[in-house]
Amino acid sequence: MNSIMTLSDLTALTGLDVFDYLDQEVSVPVIDGMQAQGDLIVVPYSLVAEIVTPGPWTRSENVPLSGVVLLRSAAGGNPHSLVADEGMCMWSTPVNDPRRLALGILDTRVTAYLIHPEHGATGIAPGRYVIGRQRERGVGRFFERTHFVVD
Amino acid sequence: MSTAPLRPVAARRATFTDNNDHSAECMFGVGAVRDAWLGHGLRAWPSDRTTAESAVETLYRRSGFREPEFVWVPSPPAGSDLIAVEGLATTLSFAGDGVACVSSRIATMLSESRRRMDTLIARGRSDWPNERRAIETARTQSPDDSARVGISPNAIIRAAVWDSLRTSLFDGVAAAIRTLMPAVVGGVTWYGQQEAHRVAFYDTYRRFGLARFRSDDVELLDLHTAVTGATGWWWAFDNVCVMAERPTALHTEPIPGRVHNERRLHHPDAPALEFEDGHLLFVHHGTIVPDWVVLEPTVERIARERNVEVRRCAIERIGWDTYIDEAGLALIDRADDPGNVGHTLQLYVISDGWGRSDHILLAVNGSPERDGRRRRYGIYVPTRISSALDAAAWTYGINGTDYARLVRRT
Repeated sequence: MNSIMTLSDLTALTGLDVFDYLDQEVSVPVIDGMQAQGDLIVVPYSLVAEIVTPGPWTRSENVPLSGVVLLRSAAGGNPHSLVADEGMCMWSTPVNDPRRLALGILDTRVTAYLIHPEHGATGIAPGRYVIGRQRERGVGRFFERTHFVVD
Repeated sequence: MSTAPLRPVAARRATFTDNNDHSAECMFGVGAVRDAWLGHGLRAWPSDRTTAESAVETLYRRSGFREPEFVWVPSPPAGSDLIAVEGLATTLSFAGDGVACVSSRIATMLSESRRRMDTLIARGRSDWPNERRAIETARTQSPDDSARVGISPNAIIRAAVWDSLRTSLFDGVAAAIRTLMPAVVGGVTWYGQQEAHRVAFYDTYRRFGLARFRSDDVELLDLHTAVTGATGWWWAFDNVCVMAERPTALHTEPIPGRVHNERRLHHPDAPALEFEDGHLLFVHHGTIVPDWVVLEPTVERIARERNVEVRRCAIERIGWDTYIDEAGLALIDRADDPGNVGHTLQLYVISDGWGRSDHILLAVNGSPERDGRRRRYGIYVPTRISSALDAAAWTYGINGTDYARLVRRT
């Protein structure tokens, strides 16, 4: 999966659907820096190495071509799926994060792809990253607290 | 695609940790049992009066009382009105024979039974160093993921059944119904269908053969199960039992970010909860709102509304961009949106007229909608933040300098 991919290549390969109104034939860019897909952000590990760390419960799994769901669809909204060539990409979760935003740590030796029905697909260049959620400030309480943004 | 072959169900064992292949199957079953109970808790359908009355009569007899006269009312608020008008609760008191009344006898009987069952369950507890932390971890991931990392069945069932149903029904739907009634009704209020967590929890242990309860506890569990599956709220008095019908409409949506099928009341343009007698609630993503928020939200009404949660719901109904244009909010800062070429991040201050203010970041979605337009959305950020870039960075938990390096946003 290291050649240039289009959205339709990716959906054919993985069996994951994206909405029909997205342009299926535009090639999917591969980014080696920070990028966001809706309410998720992919951050190079070096930027958050002091905040996000593996813990005693952290387990790593091989990301299969059929994908790992990062935010489950049962939770409402559309799922963000992570896909890569089998055996080349590890997804480790849960991790320690005092901000409570990180979903897990991604270690990939090939280009991995993040696929979402509404946002399409985006490529992640080989490397180590933290994938985290977006938050907002809660209002109407006696004290400030935050909750997650869900798109 | 799963490569693990399905194992025969008969091979199920009492603990999930000794064989990882079985655990996923058992845990799948836990979710199914929970969802069946959730269905009872959210049911909008006339009560099964025969089943409900027969179970309650048995509870009366077991408490040493004669069968009561049943009075059916169309809703819980109608029940509390009846109790007040008839003075049914005036015979209760904490002094003297308060504890001897039928409702406290039933409550004691059921809670003692639960305590005995809890003791049995605790006996099979795993040697997890810290059960509470295990439950917290189990809350954030699916039952099979928890089973796979060796979290005990107790922690998984607590998170996936008890906590999930309690959140959706007891703390969710029942708390909303409470707002239709006076704070104090008198006597013990039983939530019927919305007490499902109390029976579903022990039912799960029983179904999967994880605990063997005493026969009298099994019988009480069956009675409580029957009431929960058959009807809505009820109040037991010595001679009379007031039974409320279930709602005629009850609409929910999944609670975002939760993994155990927790749900909250919601309907975009109709009451989320309605009883036969016209008692109803408009609920927007779990927040109870006045009817105008759903039926006819306007900028003028929003300006007059004091409750920020209600204001927020109304603004979301008309859309942040419309609201900001029409209400003339003050722009504090603006910046190019990194990774989203051609679009800007805008930070606004919104004052509610009562000396309180909020900061709202207005951003443009990175991907187009079906109609080709891009949705604008508002996100509340802490008021200490006065730069649009810092505000966007804060939502992802990083600083503004790092966020400026964002390469792509979709």
